[in-house]
Amino acid sequence: MRISAVVEQLRKIAGRDAVLDRPEDLMLYEYDAGVRKRTPAAVVFPQNTEHVSQIMKLASSAGFPVVARGAGTGLSGGSISPEGGVVIAFARMNRILEVDAENMRAVVQPGVVNQTLSDNVAHLGLYFAPDPSSQKACTIGGNVAENSGGPHTLASGVTVNHVTGMTVVMPSGEVVRLGGKAAESNGYDLTGFFVGSEGTVGVVTEIIVKLLRRPERVATLLAIFETIDDGARTVSAITAAGITPAALEMLDGWTLRAVEAACHAGYPLDAGAVLLIELEGLAEQVEEQAEAVREVCVQQRAREVRRAKDETERALLWKGRKNAFAALGRLAPSYYSQDGVVPRTRIPAVLEFIGGVAKKYGLRIGNIFHAGDGNLHPLILFDPRDPKQLELVQQAGRDILEYCVSVGGSITGEHGVGLEKRDLMPLLFTDEDLDVMLSLRNAFNAAGVLNPGKLFPTTRVCAETRGASLNPVLQAEGM
Amino acid sequence: MSATGVSIDVTRELRAICGEEYVSEETAGTPVVKPGSAEEVATVLQFANMHGLGVVPEGGMTAQSFAAQASIVLQTSRLAQVEHYDHADLTVGVGAGTTVAQLNAMVGADHLLFACDPLLPERATVGGILASASHGPLRHGYGALRDFCIGIRFVTGEGRRAKGGGRVVKNVAGYDLMKLLIGSYGTLGVITSASFKLFPAPRQTRTFLAEFKTAKEALEFRDRVVRSPLAPICLELVSPIARKMMRPEMASDAWVICVRAAGSDAVLARYRKELGMAINREVAGESEVTMWRAIENFPYSAGDGTTARAGENLMRRIHITVPPRDLLAVIEVMNRVMPSLQIDFGCIGHVGIGHLQFVAQQFNHVGTGITSGLTDALRSEVGDKATVKMDGAANPWPITPANLASMRAVKQALDPNNVLRGREIS
Repeated sequence: MRISAVVEQLRKIAGRDAVLDRPEDLMLYEYDAGVRKRTPAAVVFPQNTEHVSQIMKLASSAGFPVVARGAGTGLSGGSISPEGGVVIAFARMNRILEVDAENMRAVVQPGVVNQTLSDNVAHLGLYFAPDPSSQKACTIGGNVAENSGGPHTLASGVTVNHVTGMTVVMPSGEVVRLGGKAAESNGYDLTGFFVGSEGTVGVVTEIIVKLLRRPERVATLLAIFETIDDGARTVSAITAAGITPAALEMLDGWTLRAVEAACHAGYPLDAGAVLLIELEGLAEQVEEQAEAVREVCVQQRAREVRRAKDETERALLWKGRKNAFAALGRLAPSYYSQDGVVPRTRIPAVLEFIGGVAKKYGLRIGNIFHAGDGNLHPLILFDPRDPKQLELVQQAGRDILEYCVSVGGSITGEHGVGLEKRDLMPLLFTDEDLDVMLSLRNAFNAAGVLNPGKLFPTTRVCAETRGASLNPVLQAEGM
Repeated sequence: MSATGVSIDVTRELRAICGEEYVSEETAGTPVVKPGSAEEVATVLQFANMHGLGVVPEGGMTAQSFAAQASIVLQTSRLAQVEHYDHADLTVGVGAGTTVAQLNAMVGADHLLFACDPLLPERATVGGILASASHGPLRHGYGALRDFCIGIRFVTGEGRRAKGGGRVVKNVAGYDLMKLLIGSYGTLGVITSASFKLFPAPRQTRTFLAEFKTAKEALEFRDRVVRSPLAPICLELVSPIARKMMRPEMASDAWVICVRAAGSDAVLARYRKELGMAINREVAGESEVTMWRAIENFPYSAGDGTTARAGENLMRRIHITVPPRDLLAVIEVMNRVMPSLQIDFGCIGHVGIGHLQFVAQQFNHVGTGITSGLTDALRSEVGDKATVKMDGAANPWPITPANLASMRAVKQALDPNNVLRGREIS
């Protein structure tokens, strides 16, 4: 089917004003927050599950690939369109369908912005726990696809720990309901399997999420260290003391100076590193833990431990952390953020390794990350206009991830594999592991209509589809 | 004789794979094989696929019944190695045949907690509790296995070795195969090992007991606790009959809510203040430990489950999980249906998360009629909001799951020849 015919059909399904196909409009949908881009053939804005079902039926029969897209804040290329693909954008499916305070659940459409849900239930004393740094923009549908995390996932878990049910449209157009409001599933936990499947097995059109009760007390501490090594050692010293903070973030000295210049969060300019530590819960417990954390920090040679006096000070400390990526944008035309994970006792070693990588390639690498769960975010600054630099940056990123895996870690803690890291999957998984995952993808998405070319290494998908008739979908797999 | 019509000596073939001493015919003439590695598990399953033989994986047999359709029983007891353990990282990885008691003893020595406290921990294995998505009272405060299992290795029904996740607490690389295997009751693959997030063990706990005349009053107290700032590690309901089943000398007909708190003296004092006059009794020390062990092991609180002979099925337990608002409706349905079948049932449950567990001695003797009567009544009362799971029965899902077609697609992908047929997906 020609693209003009596809666009005509999409307009019949979703409405005349619900499809974009002019190049200047499509440009806005060619990128995410990472470094890759590709212009889609068209963008469609469904308004309900039935629209999505019809779009999937059309895609399957006409054989064009589709990718679901929330706010495009992802960092792994998960929502980048395949060649000749159609983007299903969820901007118009952004309603909170139900807030069930008694059962502590909400039912939302995928286009609901993460922060909006928490704002809407705040008057009930409730909130939605997953808090990616992009939470003011990113959507819950995107969070579900990537199984997103955030600073507070240390204590409360990532997205999958907060989803109990969903409505999914399969490539055939069939609408399936998985799970529900109950805490356990009837039969296989397909809800858990679909979360984090990066849009490769179905398109989610409704999500049932858990809401948590706001804690009675929150203590936010800023521990200031002379050296990055002292800060890094403190991370496992805190957990060894039997304390699980709600959040435990680290910024190295270089990064925090850049952040301070942009955000004026009150970070010390001469420190080697800081830890941003948050404790939540019953007042008595939080006060005891705050004291215990302070002691651990001092034992680990913290120069000073500050505590936010009020909500304004607390918000300021977090503003610095959450806007850090943007702040670094002032220093270089672009940055590349990695998302490797190491066991938390390996944080001092991995930071030393990253320092070595920066020297080796002559690059600037800042470290600002979820230290409590060992989830690194080395930010490599570069100029994308210099193709040689981009190549060096990608090699440096690969070196870091290889190191993470070599000490028992992972290539991604919360950003997903997407396009960016698909060819690094063999670092973690054997051919047989990947074949089993591929047969599960094929159980739902055999023709590769949904988000082809993501998550699986190029070599595996080629092997799987060799000999099949070449339609645009299959060609896109090898993009 | 295999399903393909070729005459084979299954026992001899299994001995060639796993070694003479690891194959026996102790269960009704069915060969029982104890593979010593994931490779051996894969070879056994490949052999079963080739000859169309049914395989039933077996851990401590605390959640499943002995299946009649097995040509081969695959015991995981030799898969008990420690794959990784660094107490400072708060993670551990062990073989599927490790018992929950063994795992807790190991991490407990470092003041850490494996936060799943299922029935009969001396028998229950890591592979078994994952396959049956088991939980105990700690489910309230620490979440489910799906929340803290961070990696899994298994062999698919087809005999392919696979893994999901890894050894670190945060990891989104690849499909979340942990979720798929947890609660699949051995129908998709044989779990060979798994990794978990651990928690710091509480330094001090205390249990507050509140007694009520009716289930309704007890559940109203549950709501009060949930809405308070308190964050207990357990919030359990015990019905009058359940209490008698645990402690025959208890004549009281009260519904009891047990609130278990962890924390310093100041934290415990706050619990007393918040819970106030509702508290009838506080339990500490050895008697607190004994009390929670009785709840975990219900209905084997007296310990007779640990001595149940191999080959004997445990009593059936029906787990019903609903949005908490519907808890009372479930208890009312049970109160109405069970007496009409002349059955007394004991009920406990992690009511904080909407879970109830029902046990009746008579379940094992009345066949499936009772469960269909029960599920019909539940459906009419709470619609499709109830999820029902039956441990110790041939079919773990007495209410047909709504997503059966998707389940079958997954089953077809991992076990296309239906070798793992102990539990039918019907």
